[in-house]
Amino acid sequence: MRRLLTVLAALMTLSLTNCGYNAIQTNDEQVKAAWSEVVNQYQRRADLVPNLVNSVKGFAQQEKDVLLGVTNARAKVGSVQATPDVVNDPAALQKFQAAQSELTGALSRLLVVTENYPQLKSDALFRDLMSQLEGTENRITVARNRYIKSVQEYNVGIRTFPNNLTAMMFGYKEKANFTVENEREISVAPKVDFNAPAPAPSK
Amino acid sequence: MRARSAVKALLATLLVCLATMVLADVAVPQLTGRVVDQTGTLSSSDVASLTQKLKDLEARKGSQVAVLIVPTTQPETIEQFSIRVAEAWKIGRKKVDDGALLVIAKNDRKLRIEVGYGLEGSLTDVTARRIIDEVITPKFRSGDFAGGIDAGLDRIIGVINGESLPVPQPQASHGTDLDFDSLTSFAPVALFGALVIGGILRTLLGRLIGSLATGGAMGVLAWLIVGSAGLAALSAIAGFVIAFIADSFAGMNTPGTGRRGGWSSGSSSSGWSSGSSSDSGSFSGGGGSFGGGGASGSW
Repeated sequence: MRRLLTVLAALMTLSLTNCGYNAIQTNDEQVKAAWSEVVNQYQRRADLVPNLVNSVKGFAQQEKDVLLGVTNARAKVGSVQATPDVVNDPAALQKFQAAQSELTGALSRLLVVTENYPQLKSDALFRDLMSQLEGTENRITVARNRYIKSVQEYNVGIRTFPNNLTAMMFGYKEKANFTVENEREISVAPKVDFNAPAPAPSK
Repeated sequence: MRARSAVKALLATLLVCLATMVLADVAVPQLTGRVVDQTGTLSSSDVASLTQKLKDLEARKGSQVAVLIVPTTQPETIEQFSIRVAEAWKIGRKKVDDGALLVIAKNDRKLRIEVGYGLEGSLTDVTARRIIDEVITPKFRSGDFAGGIDAGLDRIIGVINGESLPVPQPQASHGTDLDFDSLTSFAPVALFGALVIGGILRTLLGRLIGSLATGGAMGVLAWLIVGSAGLAALSAIAGFVIAFIADSFAGMNTPGTGRRGGWSSGSSSSGWSSGSSSDSGSFSGGGGSFGGGGASGSW
């Protein structure tokens, strides 16, 4: 009897491993890690915004609307919850994404405006902030791409046989991913413009 | 209405799948050395002196820096290309992530310093951009590529020198370091194997001798599968213990196999064994990771 139980326990271990229980765990953790990296980098950008607004203000006070737009968008980003649970809730992810892309839009309007102020553009502080912003935007892109890939891996993992049975048994659901419009934005390489006088932040 | 949303979902899925399959990108070049020049810009003596400089840096600080010159990164941007190269080459030490990569797309007149996680604190985006703008591109404009790269590397090395990094370990021969990724992936196999083999051998040889034999068998198996002496020894001991106490096992929870790394789907980022960069002239990345930090520029 005891021997039988031993063998059963061993078989259980083996079958669970074989049916991808561990793989689901791994992928689940990877999605979480990728998501926190995304949040991390967006947070980094949000932290940069006030400094950027202040440095532009010094040279271009009359651009009140644009500056206000950035500040408001930044405030909205701060109000959206970005808990780890967001990955299980498409609506919450949608909301998070909407707020972030609004900030992206406001920032790019700000950058367009700065083109009109040569003094601002040659200001050392502003240039440093710009390269920080560029670096951050790039990190966001990388983090989002990795998140997309990890969610893909997880979703494929819980939908293919025999892992889908394991997933059903333990109640693992598909995770939310970034949406199509953005998908397009990410996957299409921006056109390289050789005549561009100043490097714009990569989108 | 339902049908439309279904079509939308299908399209979304297709696009997601396409997103990771970018068309006709420049292939990531082979990591043949610390300086990879696909354009023939650098003379062999330039390559040798730059390589030596980077070798000395690694010997002193453990940090790996590499240079790549390609004709173009089209259709990708240099940022997209260089993160792919960084992910493929994995320069910098594993868990320290102290790698940096200087990518130059000669015909695009673009360059980028890609910085590993571990160096982001000192080689910040701002610092990287200044090195590009103040040191490298002025020389590139006058056509002095070797000089620009040399001066840029000097600055990068100077920054890394000021960073406190773990002391580089003299590279031990392969297999002495326990690779815990393979340990966790081997664990379920080991458990099952020990139970089965243990059961058979114990009935044949008696409890103590049988368990010892099981331990031996497990050790050999581990050595064959994972190829690490330390792991083999561990497995042998585990095999012996499991076989010896197998009957008290019944009805208990089987030991967990660790949260990470299943024994299916080789999704763990590190392979069974990561190549160690020895001093035999060959160069390979130490497993460092990158997250898109750094700066780009053009000349």
